[in-house]
Amino acid sequence: MLMNEQEFIRILRNRLEGTLARDELDDIVSDYAEHFRAGKESGRSDEELWRALGSPDDIAREIRAMHLVKKAESVKSCGNIFHAVLATLGLGLFNLVFVLVPFILLVVMLLVIFMLGVAFAVIGPAAFVFSVLQLAGSPAFAIWLNPVAGLFISIGITTLGLLIIIGDYYLARFFYRAGIRYLKWNIGVITGTEEAE
Amino acid sequence: MNIQLKKGVLEICVLSVLAHKDCYGYELVNEISKRIDISEGTIYPLLHRLKDEGYVTTYLQESAGGAPRKYYRLTESGRDEEHAQREEWMQFSASVNALLAGNTHADE
Repeated sequence: MLMNEQEFIRILRNRLEGTLARDELDDIVSDYAEHFRAGKESGRSDEELWRALGSPDDIAREIRAMHLVKKAESVKSCGNIFHAVLATLGLGLFNLVFVLVPFILLVVMLLVIFMLGVAFAVIGPAAFVFSVLQLAGSPAFAIWLNPVAGLFISIGITTLGLLIIIGDYYLARFFYRAGIRYLKWNIGVITGTEEAE
Repeated sequence: MNIQLKKGVLEICVLSVLAHKDCYGYELVNEISKRIDISEGTIYPLLHRLKDEGYVTTYLQESAGGAPRKYYRLTESGRDEEHAQREEWMQFSASVNALLAGNTHADE
């Protein structure tokens, strides 16, 4: 492979196309083009400059990950955080342990809590209806020892279910924000291209 | 030296160079890589981040060679950040140095 400016820029552009907006991409590419220009003016060769810069693939991966994390920060959605996590995984194998595993554990935990809340919120009203029917004298629905207590218990279960769902929502928001901060730090410090050759 | 250590201090290095004078990209990268062996390409994403955070602004200026160059300049909040991080680093590195010096004596 020829290690010249055109090839470096081509790889960088190629890897970032589709992720970055046109003007943002042009802005980033122009920095590297200017770097090559200034470097050559001071008498260094294309190849020398390339080796000092590091691999354009690695640079593009880092820019991409940072961009997707910022996007997930400004527009909060499951899809956006998922893409940000995926892009960060591409920065190094150890992120399987430092990013993917905690991410999966968190998602599973939030889902389990959510389903628990939903279960309570469904069982509660059902039990309420049962106690009303039992009070009305329908023997088929006689599930409560004391149907009047059943009314209050089922309201309690419903409320608990709703509180769990609301709590889970705030928990998810908290972990989303903390996760973004962690990913930024991860990209900025933990991961990185190896030393210049 | 390990990459995490270097990436961790890169931000304060960039802020510090810019606190001294406005620089164009290549110039800034050279100032840093003169002293720290790091993939130079990673400095540009950092500059973008500093710009996003409002610590740095850019302006174009004609160069002797012809094409205009993009200069980076610290903003007011960038200067505050530089001061804060400089203080932090000075204290931290002094503590670590003192600790290391102490342990060397203990070994002897």
